[in-house]
Amino acid sequence: MRRTWFSLVVALAATVFMLYQNGAFAQKPTDTKAKDEVNKAKVEEAKPVEAPSITLEIDKTTLNNGGTINVKGVAPAGKPVYLEVWAEQKVRASRFDADVDKDTGKRPYILYMTDEMPAYYKIFLPKDKKEAFEQNKKEGRKWSVSKALKETGADVAYSVPAKIKIDRYQATFIRSVIGSRGDLLQSMDEKENRRRSMQLIKARFRSIDKVLAPDVEVNSDGTYKATIKIREGLAPGKYYIVAVADKGVKSQPVSFENNISFPVMYLSNAGTSLNILGPFFLVLAIATFGVLMGAGGGFIINPLLVTIYPLPHTIVAGTVMPTVLFSQGSGIYNYSKIKFINWKLGCTIGAAMLLGGFIGPKLTEMITLDQYKFVFGWILIILAALMYWQTTPGYIEKNKKEQAILKEFQKRAKEAAAKKGN
Amino acid sequence: MIVEFWGQEFKVNIVLGCLGGFLIAVASSMFGFGGGPFMVPLMTVGLGLPMYVVVGSSLLAIFFNTLMGTMRHYQFGNFDMLFFLIMFPAAILAGFIAPQIAKRVSPIVVKRVAVAGLLILAASLLGLF
Repeated sequence: MRRTWFSLVVALAATVFMLYQNGAFAQKPTDTKAKDEVNKAKVEEAKPVEAPSITLEIDKTTLNNGGTINVKGVAPAGKPVYLEVWAEQKVRASRFDADVDKDTGKRPYILYMTDEMPAYYKIFLPKDKKEAFEQNKKEGRKWSVSKALKETGADVAYSVPAKIKIDRYQATFIRSVIGSRGDLLQSMDEKENRRRSMQLIKARFRSIDKVLAPDVEVNSDGTYKATIKIREGLAPGKYYIVAVADKGVKSQPVSFENNISFPVMYLSNAGTSLNILGPFFLVLAIATFGVLMGAGGGFIINPLLVTIYPLPHTIVAGTVMPTVLFSQGSGIYNYSKIKFINWKLGCTIGAAMLLGGFIGPKLTEMITLDQYKFVFGWILIILAALMYWQTTPGYIEKNKKEQAILKEFQKRAKEAAAKKGN
Repeated sequence: MIVEFWGQEFKVNIVLGCLGGFLIAVASSMFGFGGGPFMVPLMTVGLGLPMYVVVGSSLLAIFFNTLMGTMRHYQFGNFDMLFFLIMFPAAILAGFIAPQIAKRVSPIVVKRVAVAGLLILAASLLGLF
């Protein structure tokens, strides 16, 4: 018992240390006063510069884990006004292109990946584009970013993601089997990069509501105003707004700051801030139940996390997996102490599983969240069937005998180990 | 393959074991769960081994998978340190709490609840409601 407590203390100490290293404690609300002044200066400075174009003013420059900002300004009369809003924080986005190419009839199997996707990106449309927006929204999950942008006219405002650096990898079946992403292909030209960035926007933000919103009120004299809602759980840090009326008619970027404070923390790889107490207690409850039912909690935790929180499934799968590593390790240690492991059997099957574990994580990033959920649904049904089978009378009867033998063996093993110790 | 365990010998169809283990490993590392609940039936029913041989050895086999899966996920940048640090203490704590509760509840009731819960979760994942 002393050893377990000791290891717990070590683990907690390491945890605190790593938190500290990670800069989590440094993420306190910053002193915003000075920044406010800088921002004000920026806005005022921006005004006289643009003679033919747009002005843009915001009513506040700091938010606390989301909130609303009122934007107003003057644009050339008669032009629609789009507001492009993005976060400085960057996240990863990827998309595996296995759709049949219309021209060649072949599947390209190319993985598109970027580390420069803004953690938040949204274009606010003029209110009179609402109809076009709703039309695109009706397509549900099949909506297309490029089509929606074109039909609402917002493609004139779409500029920041178009310039992100996108890597592409040519995947092949053999390479997937050995778990490689494939060859890095040549970088794309500007136009292609823009087109692919739109697909990545969809892969990252999923729903049209997160990318577009018809909220800008434009008056006939060219003045406009909008209320921008920044929802909870977004990345902290600097956000920029640019008003766009036409190609080349742009305002200077205006920035505001989104602050978060403990217990809300930003998961930089997932691009989401969340109240960390939520996942903590969720994992605590589910893992306890998992131990009781004799299956790891991962089966329930993973689907719950991707359903409740806006987390990418790759991050969830990749982060839940290591959490069981230590409990498995200590389990093996305990069994090996009483010589309850057949190393030959465990290592032989383990070698096959090593191979499987090499390939699996590669496949995670090739599927979409919807596919992840679908397959996971079926896995859970199989698991439920297995669990049910373990509650049938025949199984219980057999299990009782097995457990009795197991206990007997364990007793003998412990005695043998104790004798050796003496 | 012949497996010896505490003086007893068992004949094991190792091809079936490795093939099943491989498939379970792909699925479990792809979706991020431990493969225990699938591995134990594979080794008891599929390979015909008694429970007392399986408990330790299946854990060892799964450990290989988890270790490799963790490394690969980390390599692909699918690992979020802060998120891990939130969940890890909770998982450790659960390991201490669960045995305290285990004495008071019947495992069969727990399993029945689990079946119902899993089916509800599966239905929601498949978009049935």
